[in-house]
Amino acid sequence: MIRYTLTRLALLLLGLLVASVLIFLSLRVLPGDVAQLIAGTNSTPEQIAAIRERLGLDQPLPAQYLEWIGGVLRGELGTSLLTGSTVASELAEKAQVTVPLGVMALTIAVVFSVPLGVLSAMRRGRADGTALSVGAQTLAAVPVVWAGMMLVVVFAVWLGWLPAQGFPRAGWQDPWAAFRALILPALTIGIVEGAMLMRFVRSATLQAVGQDHVRTGAAKGLTRNAALIRHGLPDVGLSVITVLGLQVAGIIVGAVIIEQLFTLPGIGRMLVADVSARDLPKVQGELLVLTGFVLVVGFVVDLVHRVIDPRQREAA
Amino acid sequence: MLRRTALAATALLAAGALLLSACSSGADQAPTTSAAPDPDASVAIRLVLEPENLDIRQTAGAALDQILVDNVYQGLVARTPEQEIVPSLASDWTVSPDGLTYTFTLREGVTFHDGQALTPQDVVWSLETRRATPAWSDSARLANVTSVTAEGQEITLTLAAPDSSLLWNLTGRAGIILKEGDTVDYSTAANGTGPFTLDDWRQGASITYLRNDAYWGEPAQVAEVVFDYIPDNQAALNAALAGEVDVLTGFDANLKEQIEADGDFALVLGQSTDKGTLAFNQSAGSPLADQRVRQAIRQAIDHDAFVEALASGETQYGPIPSLDPGYEDLADVAPYDPEAARALLEEAGVEDLTLTLKIPNFYSTTIPQILVSNLNEVGITLEVDSVDFSTWLNDVYVNRDYDLSFVLHTEARDFENWANPDYYFTYDNPEVQELYAESLAATDEGEAAQLLADAARIVSEDAAGDWLYTGASVVAVGDNITGMPSINVNERLNLAELAKSNG
Repeated sequence: MIRYTLTRLALLLLGLLVASVLIFLSLRVLPGDVAQLIAGTNSTPEQIAAIRERLGLDQPLPAQYLEWIGGVLRGELGTSLLTGSTVASELAEKAQVTVPLGVMALTIAVVFSVPLGVLSAMRRGRADGTALSVGAQTLAAVPVVWAGMMLVVVFAVWLGWLPAQGFPRAGWQDPWAAFRALILPALTIGIVEGAMLMRFVRSATLQAVGQDHVRTGAAKGLTRNAALIRHGLPDVGLSVITVLGLQVAGIIVGAVIIEQLFTLPGIGRMLVADVSARDLPKVQGELLVLTGFVLVVGFVVDLVHRVIDPRQREAA
Repeated sequence: MLRRTALAATALLAAGALLLSACSSGADQAPTTSAAPDPDASVAIRLVLEPENLDIRQTAGAALDQILVDNVYQGLVARTPEQEIVPSLASDWTVSPDGLTYTFTLREGVTFHDGQALTPQDVVWSLETRRATPAWSDSARLANVTSVTAEGQEITLTLAAPDSSLLWNLTGRAGIILKEGDTVDYSTAANGTGPFTLDDWRQGASITYLRNDAYWGEPAQVAEVVFDYIPDNQAALNAALAGEVDVLTGFDANLKEQIEADGDFALVLGQSTDKGTLAFNQSAGSPLADQRVRQAIRQAIDHDAFVEALASGETQYGPIPSLDPGYEDLADVAPYDPEAARALLEEAGVEDLTLTLKIPNFYSTTIPQILVSNLNEVGITLEVDSVDFSTWLNDVYVNRDYDLSFVLHTEARDFENWANPDYYFTYDNPEVQELYAESLAATDEGEAAQLLADAARIVSEDAAGDWLYTGASVVAVGDNITGMPSINVNERLNLAELAKSNG
């Protein structure tokens, strides 16, 4: 187990290093730079050149990369070219919106998808099971933006129960207002992601029904459903954990769209703004942290998997 | 469970129907036209474009001028929404008959937001530094100034040559007065003399102003203004209908009925200097180097279609919009006439022309759609390349790598770009440059305007570019709001008169 963990950890670090190079290079492919944006449309080439020099953008790429990665190794994620604020402080501030949003969305997704997924598998072939399955397929196909708009129209504009957009300026100092601001965005991501998860839970459950130990359980006198719940669901749970790990990345992508739609000052919206402003040092830092987060989640999922699932340990 | 799913589906369907029926309902609020202004009010204003940082000295962009000039930072002179030049930090001024000496009387008792007094030396330092620092925006606008001196409260600007645009330039960024040796971090904070202080900037969300109680003039009528940056029009409409904002700027006039349905908002269409500019790359070697091809494109375009599609604005056939000096109606220069356009293309020997339009991706897709179909009509294939603004700046503005380009030029009085052969318009006509120089050197306003009008006619006759429309300031104002400017609000938003009654 220790050897496995260490190998896995080394892979994680290697992954981060490769990611840092890819992030750095892919951003350099973008045309345009922040100096032009600062100088604007009434500027001279000399003005732009002066700004580029002031910001260090005239340095060769390897030098820029080494400076960045050197900073990262010292624990500095970089600073914004435009505002001078540090990536770490910006991420910490925006995470106060995005992390709760992601957690709420994931909770909503799990809470409705697991029981409904299992139920739709157990009721397979009956009218209600089919309805659930079709419902999940339909919801999973709904564009996130449309779903968000619909929720806003019903719950904010029509009923007036929840805010249509924005996040309170007081932030979590006013917990109730902050929580309310995140309900509709979280529901939007949660419903769409949950519908996808529900289809997965359903098929995992159906697979579990066919497993030997579940059949054995049934043969020993348990009802089919009781056998499934006692012997099959742990398997389902295991697969769900894996899929959830993958869905973390999906939720981050979802947050980028949803934060635009609901004008939430979160990480997704910051990332989009920073890319279009070509604030590359900041984008690099943000992307590296997000990539690191997804890689770490994958790492943890793998370890958990290994702890729970005895077959994997035996195989090793 | 089934019931719950069915319920959710029904709710979504109902919501869809509601959206299609144009969001007609909303929270009911009684109209409060007669109520008195509430001095403690907070007004939420929706804006579209958030600034990248707040450094008014060095960072370009209308998003900064829009909120900071007049409200936070001030100059010796200011301009009204009607584009008149009025006193601000100077109580009055005189110009010598030869146009070479401007003398301003600086007000006394003006303080900066941090409590320091405004001194004549601050004015001298601000203008001198602006002039001598090319990295500061608009420093070239003070190029004619040779010295700035102070004697008592008298500030004197001496010029090398007359400059009919100087006073106007002093109403903008070039004339902003800062505190000498200020240590404020201009990227995220501000220290000005205006009626509002910058309280808070939540990047990606909002900027908050508070009333400056120590203001030298009439204090603001509201305690707080919150600028909410909501780029999407539909989201902005929802925010308004849910009662989260009081004013929407940069709105879509096509949504008039939806925003007015409740009776809580009224849509105001004000004039603007936003010029929907179609630039032609006429560098040597391009098919657009031929005046007949450019003229053909202009005549192939149905300019009324843009005004109709935007449900606002007016047509514009020359480089100067109707709010600016030198404007005249040049509709006769390039009337919509596909037949004439085809004839011109034939005369120029152009067949199967394919052109690329580079357009920043935040503009409505309606604009390229109309252009594609109009040009297709006369046998020109238009390929649309929708890019982000940084890419546009790089490709079009810096590298001149484009055939046609669309950008909304919002700045007032920016004819100078047509007299600058190095500008991305790639238009080079010595006669226009000469007329523009004469206009600047004129000491009589009327004469200066006439010279601009002459130059503008030549630019239009040369088909140096095309002007698809002059935009309108589309502002939706809550019925309990008064004093909201409606002219040219994309460029300047003076909130000194803004008031709100809570009824």
